[in-house]
Amino acid sequence: MTKRRMFLRMITASLLRRRSRMLIALLSIGIGATILAGLVTIYVDVPRQMGAQFRSYGANMLLLPKEDAELNSETLAEALKAIPEDALVGAAPYRYVRLDMTSRQQSFTAAGTDFEQITKTSPYFSIEGEYPERTRQVLVGKEIADTIGVKLGSTMELTYQPTAKSGDQTPEESRVPNATLSGSAEGFGGGVVYVTARLDREGKIASLSVDASTQTPEYGGQVPEDETYLNQFIGKALPLTQGQDVDAFTGATVTSAAVVDALNKATASAAPVQPKTLNFTVTGILTTGGEEESYVFLSLSDIEIMTGSDQLDVAELSVSAGAEQLEAYVNQITESSASVQARLVKRVARSEASVLEKLTALVFLVTLVVLLLTMICVSTTMMAVVSERRREIGLRKALGASDGSIRAEFLGEGLFLGLLGGVMGAILGFVFAQVVSVNVFGSSITFQPLLLPAAIIVSMAIAAASCLLPIKRAVAIDPAIVLKGE
Amino acid sequence: MSLLELKNVSKIYGELKALDNVNIHVDQGEWVAIMGPSGSGKSTMMNIIGCMDKPTKGEVLLDGVDISKESSKRLTDIRRDKIGLIFQQFHMVNYLTAVENVMVSQYYHSMPDEKEALEALERVGLRERARHLPSQLSGGEQQRVCVARALINHPELILADEPTGNLDEANENIVLDLFAQLHKEGTTLIVVTHDPEVAEAAQRTIVLEHGKVAREVINENFGK
Repeated sequence: MTKRRMFLRMITASLLRRRSRMLIALLSIGIGATILAGLVTIYVDVPRQMGAQFRSYGANMLLLPKEDAELNSETLAEALKAIPEDALVGAAPYRYVRLDMTSRQQSFTAAGTDFEQITKTSPYFSIEGEYPERTRQVLVGKEIADTIGVKLGSTMELTYQPTAKSGDQTPEESRVPNATLSGSAEGFGGGVVYVTARLDREGKIASLSVDASTQTPEYGGQVPEDETYLNQFIGKALPLTQGQDVDAFTGATVTSAAVVDALNKATASAAPVQPKTLNFTVTGILTTGGEEESYVFLSLSDIEIMTGSDQLDVAELSVSAGAEQLEAYVNQITESSASVQARLVKRVARSEASVLEKLTALVFLVTLVVLLLTMICVSTTMMAVVSERRREIGLRKALGASDGSIRAEFLGEGLFLGLLGGVMGAILGFVFAQVVSVNVFGSSITFQPLLLPAAIIVSMAIAAASCLLPIKRAVAIDPAIVLKGE
Repeated sequence: MSLLELKNVSKIYGELKALDNVNIHVDQGEWVAIMGPSGSGKSTMMNIIGCMDKPTKGEVLLDGVDISKESSKRLTDIRRDKIGLIFQQFHMVNYLTAVENVMVSQYYHSMPDEKEALEALERVGLRERARHLPSQLSGGEQQRVCVARALINHPELILADEPTGNLDEANENIVLDLFAQLHKEGTTLIVVTHDPEVAEAAQRTIVLEHGKVAREVINENFGK
């Protein structure tokens, strides 16, 4: 038998045959290791856990169109590529328009959105009923529902009243399908000639009326009445050139030049789109405690049908990332996208970071305290073990054990306890962390494979450190105590 | 040839002279008893001979080497190599079996050898009790294990402190028989006792009183 085997045999015998005392030491190390391993697991998992928690408080990033650029589903999708899929909790697009409920003479802000994304970015939305699942369904804010008295299943007739486009538009911009254009130009003798043209679905002239009351009645004044002259404009696209696209009115060359000129300069003066009315079914009533209660929410495609545009005003993003990473995403999106700029919802992002910081600091502190308590506990137990075994230590020394052997034996026992305690701690610690996680955060955690070796190493280190003082005592024991025949 | 020689050895604790200018010698192979009432300096002498204490004055020659000035580390080495100890209270490691207790002595000395340890137990008549824990052994059996442990490393000197103090007569006789056997094989034995019967088993008795050698008695009846 080698010395090493005898060493192990003595240590295991000491642990196995002196169970009760060693069980206390093992328990103190094991419980310490359990709490430590548990806390460390939570510590490692907290950012993820809390991140998920925070994400339930709403969006922490906004995407907005850049100046003179448009945010729509395509530019949005492009911009979202900057954020990894697993970090992006949700991205809810919003288009805000005013809709009228003519029957009640009310008008509300309507938000066109993607309800599936809303459940992710705004999980705190509390819905009575259901989110709309199809088009022509509407989610009504509580405030509106109370005002107009709609209930689940009610129908609402909502009208989009296009606002007249401003006169700032250039003639080229005005020539959109279905537009009504009006313009004027100087005619014969300084008199102004007015034209109004309606465009068809292809953007070509569908009808034309001319006001030439300032012109010579016998000549230019005849222009608005002459159907042959006016009909030649129908089906033609602007701009026009007299003599090429259309002929001049016989005897009123200047007046007819003014008509062509006025048409070419004409801009939209009336609504390009007719008011659009759709019928909606109320599927849900929304309570948030915030301004959302005074909105109605519909699907983006309904808004698109009503407004004739797929433009978006904003997209709310919920991104699971730390403050620095969020900042990086914001910069990346704003720099790389031509049409989209990103912004942080600072209030949410900042409070996340500070709460996380405080929480991790707290866990760290508790970990330190537990570490210390464990050491004190193990040290005390080992101290008791040493005084209990004074006689045995004296005997060993009397039999010729060097101080080194005594140290090695106690350290060996300590390390062995540390090993057992570490294994126990890693396993129970994971269970502990799991229980805490499920009860506090409501989600389970993944086992960290590194936890086992880490827990073993740490608890062996604690055990060894805790043994230092007891070992010092053991070494100081006088072998002569065995001789006194007490 | 003398194995152990104490020359003018004194051990002074403050005012108290535990040993006062003691001169003794023990020859190789001799069986000596040291007697005396409590407080006579027996324990102090035992500690010094057992390399567990150093005298205040004087020389202690063990196997020709003066151990009175050695460091405690050296003393540990010398004790391990030359001395086998037997105690009144037996002193076994209570969580190790009989054979393991014998092997502990081998472990500190050189190499644990279970076969040899079992042979030593056989010699003290405890071969079949080898796997028992001390709590499963009687006092006599425990002391016999201690004898086996003391002789396992073939020490020059076996130093026994009241070896039969806690034993009944039957077990006392067994232990004394073992000593006689060891003596026959040439082992030097020093037995500290206050039991005259035990002292009478030895060749020579040194009587201590008040830290001094009061007298030495040669046992005329030795071996008879």
